[in-house]
Parts: sequence; C-alpha cells; structure tokens
Amino acid sequence: MVWITITLHILIGIFIAFLSRVGKQNSMAGYFLGDRKLNGFVSALSYSATTYSAFMLVGLAGLTYNGGVGAFGFEIIYFMGVSLVAIFGPRFWLVGKKYGYVTPSEMLGDRYQNKWVAIVTALSSCLFLIPYSAVQLTGIGYLLEGVTSGAISYTTGVIIATILALVFTYIAGIRSVAWTDSLQSLIMIIASTIVVLLIIDGLGGWNGFFDSIEKTKPEALAVPGNGFFNFWTFLGLTIPWFFFSISNPQVSQRLFMPSSMKSMRHMLLGFLIFGFIYTIVSVVWGLSATVLFPELDNADLATPMLLSSELVPDLLGVIVMVGILAAAISTIDSILLTLSSLFSRDVYRNIMKHKQTTDQKQLQIGKIVIPIIAILAYLFAQLQLDLIAVLSVASSAGLIVVVPGIIGAFFWRKGTASGVIISVIIGSIFVIILEAFQLLPLGLKSGIWGIIISTILFISTSFITKAPEDKANEFIDYLQVKLKKNSR
Amino acid sequence: MNKKEKMWGLIILFIVFLGYFLPYTLFSNIEKWYGSFLLWTILAIIVIIINYILTKEWGDEE
Repeated sequence: MVWITITLHILIGIFIAFLSRVGKQNSMAGYFLGDRKLNGFVSALSYSATTYSAFMLVGLAGLTYNGGVGAFGFEIIYFMGVSLVAIFGPRFWLVGKKYGYVTPSEMLGDRYQNKWVAIVTALSSCLFLIPYSAVQLTGIGYLLEGVTSGAISYTTGVIIATILALVFTYIAGIRSVAWTDSLQSLIMIIASTIVVLLIIDGLGGWNGFFDSIEKTKPEALAVPGNGFFNFWTFLGLTIPWFFFSISNPQVSQRLFMPSSMKSMRHMLLGFLIFGFIYTIVSVVWGLSATVLFPELDNADLATPMLLSSELVPDLLGVIVMVGILAAAISTIDSILLTLSSLFSRDVYRNIMKHKQTTDQKQLQIGKIVIPIIAILAYLFAQLQLDLIAVLSVASSAGLIVVVPGIIGAFFWRKGTASGVIISVIIGSIFVIILEAFQLLPLGLKSGIWGIIISTILFISTSFITKAPEDKANEFIDYLQVKLKKNSR
Repeated sequence: MNKKEKMWGLIILFIVFLGYFLPYTLFSNIEKWYGSFLLWTILAIIVIIINYILTKEWGDEE
C-alpha cells in the first residue's frame, strides 16, 4: 500500500508539474522567478510548503515530545517573524522589478556596488543550505524506515526524495516547483489535520486530551517545564528562526515573484493562516505522542509511532507519510532552485565577467548545478546525524549573519560592501566554530552570537570604509517615493 | 519606514517580547491548557490580524 500511494503521488506530481509549463522558461527570470507573475494563491501554498518542511511533523513533534509546549512557543516566535515580510516584502519586490534582480545576493551586490558581496553571500547560503537540505532528507529516511518497519530502508527513502526533488525542479523551474508545492501542502495540511482530530477524539476529545497531559506529564504544558527549554536555549533556538523569512534565500527570493503587491499580500496572509493551523497540528501531534508513548528513547520516533498506532486508520497513516515525504521534497526542490540561481547568477557570472555571460548561458550553468547540489545533499544525509531539529537550526544560525547587510541595504545609507563581506565571512566562520565544537560562550547559542558579531562588524567596518552614496540614495529614495502611497 | 509601518512594527515587536517574557514568568507554573499554550495561540492570532491591517492597501498594480 505504501508503494502504491507513493507511486500515485509521484504520478500526480509529475502531471501537475507538466501542466505548469506555461510561458517561457528560457530566461533566468522565467525559470527561477516565474517571470515575476505568480498569483497569490499558489505563492501562499508554495511559500508554506517551502518553509514548513519535514521538520514540522518529525522534528517539531519530536521537540514537543522532548520539551513540551516550549516547542510551540519556538514555532510561534518564528511565525511572528514572518511579519518581516510585511516590511521587507514590498521593498524586495519594488527593487527587484526596477533593477531586474533574480536573487537576493544579486540585489545586495548591486546595492553595495561590489560583486564580492554577491559572491560571498551566495556562497555562504550554499554552505549552510546544503546541510539543511540534507536534514530534510534525513527526516524522510527515518520516517519511511520507521513507519514501514524497515520495508523501505533509510537509503531508499533518501534516494526517492532526492530524485523527486530533481524531477520537480527540472520540469519547469519555479513554476513546476510552485505548483507541486501547492499540491503537497494541501495534501499535508488536510491529512495531518484529520489525523490530529482522530487522535484527539481517541483520547477523549479536547478536554480528555489536556486532562491526560495534566495527569501524565503536567510539566509539558509550561516552560521551562522539564528543563529542556530553559530560557537561553529557547532564545538561542528562536532568534535565528525569527529572521528566517529574510535570511534564507529560498524564501526571500519568493519576494521577487508575486505578480503584484496584492498577490504578495495574499501570499503573506495565506501563509500565516496555513502556518497557524499547521503549527498547532504539529504541536498537538507531539503532545499526543507524549501521552500515548511516554517512554520513547528517540523523540524522532514519535511521529512514526503515532502513524502506526491504532488510532490512525492505515490508509490515512500512509497518506500522511507520503505527505511528509512531499513536505521534505517541496523544501528541497525550492532550495535546489535557489542555490543554483545563486551559483549561476552571483558566483559564475561575477567570476566569468570578462567572457560575457549571457542570460542563456547563466541558465544553462544553473541547470547543470542543480543535480550537483542534490548529490551533495544526498551525501550529507548519508552521514545520519542525530536530532533533526538541532541541525536544522544550526543552518539557520549560519544564515543569520547576512541579516545586518540586508537591513542596511534598505535602511542605512552608510552601510558598505566591506561591512557586508566582513560581517558575513567572519560571522559564518564564528558560527561554524561554535557549532563544530559545541561551544556556548557566556551560555549563548551560535545564532545569538552570529547576529551580535555580524551586526557589530557590519556597523564598525561601514564606519571606516566608504559607502556607495549614489547608489544608496537612488535605491532608498526610490523606495521612499514608491512606498509613500501606502503610508496612511 | 513610513508611519504606519513604524507603529505596527513596534506593536509586533512588543507582542514578540510578550511571547518571550510571559511564558517564562507569569505562566511558568501554570501547567494547564490555558497557560502558555493559550497565550501563544492568542499572540499568534493578534499577529495575523496586524498583518492583515498592515497590508490592507497593497494594490494590484503590476
């Protein structure tokens, strides 16, 4: 049954991907941005699918199992951070249209008038996002192996996910990604909501559900609760995720794509509603595992256990499992696409400048890079590292170092290219060292250090180097004039 | 940033602050569904409403 459902899912996915092949895909903006013409509905579902990966029903449920309701707070703080789209979204969108930016790194490079800004920020994104994709693959591997009691091995699961991500990316670039994402997120939210309702019903309704938590593990309903989420851990986990919507290029690139501001509004509000429901579903999911299986050794097993429990009908269990597979794929394919655009547009084009790289050539390079990145992610996943959530956060901690440069681009005329380059390079190295040696200087996690150090470096370096005044004025003045209309 | 963005931006920051502060102080001993769980739920809904207001005038000019 598992195989039939997976096959069915693949066929429908490919069918939808082919349907999405409208318009031209033979330019960078066409292939990677859908010609900046995505409508609000697809944008919202796709944004949700890209953001909410396999992490939610495997990692977040596991985190809830371990630390209780603090995991809910963690996800809600992230969720609130998406409000940054309400501030940065229109700005990305306006300058993207005016200057023809395809990637966030390209925007930074042009704004700070230095190609090395684009190269460095693009490479640092690759450095952190390939492990992040690997984390998704790992999640899938565990899940498929767990639910099918080994019938689908870890490796087979990982291979299926990698290949699907590649196929969905290749068929029509961002269009096939966006449409298959939409399908996947719909399946996911409907199936998982039904499962949670069934579980709650099985545990005696809403009251019965909370009564049983209060009886078996009351500490799961407060923070710090059992101590897992002490305040500094909570702060360290949440800070990088708060900035996720602008620090992670696979989502910030989305801000270039909506057809109008109104579409972007639909994207934002659609995402918020989706995310709100999905967050509650995932957390209730984890809490119910706490009640049903209080003695698990590995929290990542919480979801597989739930899906194979008696409360969940077999078919629904399989659908959710395929949905989780889909969630991982929808995150990975977006990352693949974004990273390849970063590589071809910001690294390749800037390094090969003397050779005249046409739009066509960049697209060709981008398409060659996609499978290379996929294979790298696959190899990382084979390393099988422990708790999924922790690794995933490590990559967002690394990406946070570009945040001062991004904020500066829109709001600080004195910010300089050297400021961005130094803050990103030294900030990233610092985060990597902290993660590699598991260090917590002053008890603070790598993400907090990342934002502190990169901010200090960005500001101090900018003060002693010369800002690109003309560009800064042109860029910021343009936005001020355009945004004035919305100011009442 | 224009006035509207500044005002609502600050309100969102305040709500985020409450999302950190209250669960670790007032609610840290309330081991009930109406403790931190409900608080975070309500704060999230408020944030949705603010985003709704903040983006109300975004037009369909392409």
